[in-house]
Amino acid sequence: MSKYLAYPQIVFKSRELLIGALADVGYIDVDEGHDLPLFGYHGDQRPETAALVVRRQHIGPGSNDLGFAHADEGYFPIISDFDHRTLLGGQFLPRLRVAYAERVVETVRKRLRASVRRTTEGSVVKLHIRY
Amino acid sequence: MPEVEFTIDTATGEFQMHVQGVAGPACDDVAKLVKDLAGEPGREEATAEYHLRPRVHSRTDTHIRSKHG
Repeated sequence: MSKYLAYPQIVFKSRELLIGALADVGYIDVDEGHDLPLFGYHGDQRPETAALVVRRQHIGPGSNDLGFAHADEGYFPIISDFDHRTLLGGQFLPRLRVAYAERVVETVRKRLRASVRRTTEGSVVKLHIRY
Repeated sequence: MPEVEFTIDTATGEFQMHVQGVAGPACDDVAKLVKDLAGEPGREEATAEYHLRPRVHSRTDTHIRSKHG
């Protein structure tokens, strides 16, 4: 049985941007609500609940539901240790954070009606917005 | 020209923002916009530029009237 782990230090403030970022990394079917139950890969209900859930059927064989719980600061992931190790080659959370950050930048660019210039140095992407 | 520099580390997903070319607390407006979307930062620093007061230049227009006749 895979254990669920919560990552309260990784917070996604905006529900809209988080759903968009999930789509960017390949998860377009997201259940939205309050205190939604989470199920493990055997169909066993877990004690944790979440406000956003990607059901295991949309993730892959052996996966568990992937949830995001809502707190005052935003949404934080609840993910099984199995999925944490295997989703997107173990890069699910970093890639989701990158996708979310890109959406933050794009939203700021649109609000400021600005142009953006992108440069890359190794693993670091710099986005310069001029307005 | 004011510029906001965002840095994203694609290996870790870490995200940083630096506002440049905006003297004084005017850069708070941009910072607030980003906080509304990205949440409270783990670390926040005001740069030396933040403590500068924006300069306001006053200009007096002089109109010279010529008399005809």
